[in-house]
Amino acid sequence: MSFFDVEIQSVITEVGILLEYLRRHSKSYPKSIPMSNSQRTGFNTDLRSLLKHQHKKVYSICRLFAHTYKEHQYLFTNIIAAASQNIRHRGTPANKETLVLHACINMAALHMIALDMPTRSTESIDFKSSDYQRAMMEFHDSMGNVSDYDKFRLFLEFEKVPSEQLADLTGMPSGKYNRHQLAQRKEKEIPKKNFIPYIKEKLVWS
Amino acid sequence: MELKKLQQQWSSFPETSMEERPVLSSDLEKIVVKNPLSNAFYLRKKLLTRIAVFSVLWLVNTWLLRLQWLGEGNDLYLQSAFFLLLSYAIYFHLRLLLFADYPTLLAMPLIPFLSKLEIILDKYIISFKLLSAVTAFGLLVLFELLMARWNPSAYDSFSRNIWYKWLLIIFMAVSLDILLLNKAIPRYRKLLGTVRKYKDGIIAKAR
Repeated sequence: MSFFDVEIQSVITEVGILLEYLRRHSKSYPKSIPMSNSQRTGFNTDLRSLLKHQHKKVYSICRLFAHTYKEHQYLFTNIIAAASQNIRHRGTPANKETLVLHACINMAALHMIALDMPTRSTESIDFKSSDYQRAMMEFHDSMGNVSDYDKFRLFLEFEKVPSEQLADLTGMPSGKYNRHQLAQRKEKEIPKKNFIPYIKEKLVWS
Repeated sequence: MELKKLQQQWSSFPETSMEERPVLSSDLEKIVVKNPLSNAFYLRKKLLTRIAVFSVLWLVNTWLLRLQWLGEGNDLYLQSAFFLLLSYAIYFHLRLLLFADYPTLLAMPLIPFLSKLEIILDKYIISFKLLSAVTAFGLLVLFELLMARWNPSAYDSFSRNIWYKWLLIIFMAVSLDILLLNKAIPRYRKLLGTVRKYKDGIIAKAR
């Protein structure tokens, strides 16, 4: 066996060890959360009860953004998954409800972006239960072609979320600022952004 | 649009329907572990795969570079360039992965969230250029290794023609880049365009 072959074999062995290490230590989602386990942690119980308590809020945003039964169910599961992910990674006792609202708004936006792609499905309203179908038809007829931003505002209005919170949820200054105030805010921000703009754009992504 | 009328219709929605039934614990158990982002937006697995492949190539390249350094071989500059390229590619992908921070991405406010998605998609599109350059280098190095094993005299003559190697690398990198521009990149460009348009629409409406 030549020196070349021995070196190749040792490299292959090292790569194998490295891959095995990465496989064992890679972070993966747990297969299931033991919700029915009597020894579960308090956080999981809290998460479960919070999601159960908030699920009507999630259905509310589905009413505004879903057009069919399939879309409705898909959006609902995605929002619940997003909310649980947000709470697990960023949750504090004070901000859990805000994180649920963030999940609702962000997932609804992603849903609309996906619908805006060329493979857009039909926008006709089609639900399984007749009462729900009728209520959705009437509601969407009354709503007309409102923008998604207005739908978010409606959602917050119906869910009795204070309008001041809209700015925190969208990351945009709320309607209480007039043009003059916005211009003043912009002027204040300019000196901060004027730091070698080209290089900053290349080095700093956010 | 009358808010009062909408409020009335909102209240008249059926209390419980097939669509809005109470959520069961067994449902929740399945839902909470699901990844909420679709494949188009969730690039974590793709980035991790690339980082793993580049890391393996980086290890092989380090070993080849060491051999070239000790034996004062003809490919010292080529291997050094490949080493630098791989190091930058790993850094770029790791940086993008850390920047994306997928577990907390959906907890951001809407506009910062959409801006971040836009940046992630934009940088991911740029990363295809690195991918084509790394593939071109990798293919040439593989070709040389195979040639050295099967036909040492041809390898001898090939390894002396440094300019041919660089021309080959440039040709392969450009060809792969064009291939990716036509096959893989368009869907990400479309998605990026849609995200940008949606964000601009929200901002315009909010102002």
